[in-house]
Amino acid sequence: MINFSNVDFTHQNGVVALRAINLTIDRGEIVAVVGENGAGKTTLVRHMNGLLKPSRGIVTVDGVDTRRRSTAQLSRKVGIAFQNPDHQLFSDTLENEIIFALKNFGFPEETIRQRLDWALNFFGLEQYTKDSPLILSGGEKKRLTLACILAWDPDVIILDEPTVGQDAIQKERLAEVVKMFKSVGKTVVIVSHDVEFIWPLQPRLVIMSAGRVVGDGPARDLMRDRGLLESARVTQPQLVQIHAELKASNSHPFVDTLEARKYITDMVKR
Amino acid sequence: MHWVAGGFVFRRVESPFHKLDPRTKLLISLEFFAISLLAFAIIQVAIVLASVLFVAVYAKSLKRIGRTILMSAGFAGFIFAINLLFGVGLVSSLLYALRFLAIVSSTSIFFVTTSPDELEHTMKWLGVPRDIVFAFVTAVRFIPVIMLDAFQIMDAQKSRGLELEKGNFVKRIRNMVPILVPLVVNSVVRSGELAEAMESRAYGATPKPTSLYKLRLSRKDKSVMLVSLLFFAAVLYIYLRVKVPV
Repeated sequence: MINFSNVDFTHQNGVVALRAINLTIDRGEIVAVVGENGAGKTTLVRHMNGLLKPSRGIVTVDGVDTRRRSTAQLSRKVGIAFQNPDHQLFSDTLENEIIFALKNFGFPEETIRQRLDWALNFFGLEQYTKDSPLILSGGEKKRLTLACILAWDPDVIILDEPTVGQDAIQKERLAEVVKMFKSVGKTVVIVSHDVEFIWPLQPRLVIMSAGRVVGDGPARDLMRDRGLLESARVTQPQLVQIHAELKASNSHPFVDTLEARKYITDMVKR
Repeated sequence: MHWVAGGFVFRRVESPFHKLDPRTKLLISLEFFAISLLAFAIIQVAIVLASVLFVAVYAKSLKRIGRTILMSAGFAGFIFAINLLFGVGLVSSLLYALRFLAIVSSTSIFFVTTSPDELEHTMKWLGVPRDIVFAFVTAVRFIPVIMLDAFQIMDAQKSRGLELEKGNFVKRIRNMVPILVPLVVNSVVRSGELAEAMESRAYGATPKPTSLYKLRLSRKDKSVMLVSLLFFAAVLYIYLRVKVPV
């Protein structure tokens, strides 16, 4: 689906943001990209819809070199939900905000109507259809930006720091949305510092540090590697930490963290 | 585009020119501005431009000034075309366009090499009221932030299928609406937040707030001022006494 082949990227001010990136993301995968600030996470995903073109190496989306397509063309397949909703909301009504991209992509009127209704209902925004996006709360704005992207049904959905400014309930709803994406075969790439949000999704984890991919594998395995996480300045999820502590003290013979989760849940219930 | 937009923006550079007192830099900039405005021959404007570029090299800011000139080149071309269209003549049209470039680069040498803090001290020294100084300096300080905002908004809208470069002139102008609306809204929201933050930190609590820094002219500043004034006087003398063809 998306392939990075020996990719380097250097900003115009000379700062090297990506170094020798080799990465393949297959259809239907959930991938979480983690790493400290400035590790190159956002730069990496901005290559996926052609917002940035590699300084060296090749990025392909469905076999097509991103340098040969405009961002608008690539975005039909790869949708990015940016961190700050205020950077994209501009229309007078929610309705117009959602159909903006559908019109840009040339969808027929009937399809636009169907997709609009679906997106508003799915994200619980139907009561604001004719209102300005500017009156929405932070969480609602975030949902609106997701609705704007899902409306055109891209194959790959990139969520850049989706949990910033979201309360616990919103995070849970967001996690449900991501699971729903997976169930319908979408590829989801999540850029986040929020390991507590990532962990229950059990994604493939890509750990970045100083522009390099320093770890790539199932979250279940990599999140246990304290040395690797510390070198990339990523914290372990609390559940993994508790599991490790219990295991070290021989308090309970857990096989894995999922079992620990069940034990802790039962213990809290008791 | 991002590269060109960096033209007017201050960046800290280790150069002897940057270390000068801001009033010295202001004087040099004003002298260049005046001799650009008074130039009446292409050769004179060319000399002014060359002098500005010489100072830019000394200030290790040639690229930045180059970007400023590149950014202004479009408007200079417009000035040239309009004058030519209204029958001003090829040479005079070229003179006006070049004079515009000389004026822009003269003023930008000050802004490119003077930090917002130094600008603030200079304006206070000139006796500008504190609120006006604050508003002006904040506006200057926020130019890079607003530029960054603009580029992020452009990225977000391009990711929603907006093709900024496509279509005729009217279409391209209309394409700017999804960029300008969030930019203006964000700037208004940010200014409100900034005002609240400033008030929360006692802005305006005392009529005469104290200052940690004071401007001081060094011997080097005084020498540079003297040399620049001599250069200015010499140029004015040449303008008045030496006859050159337009």
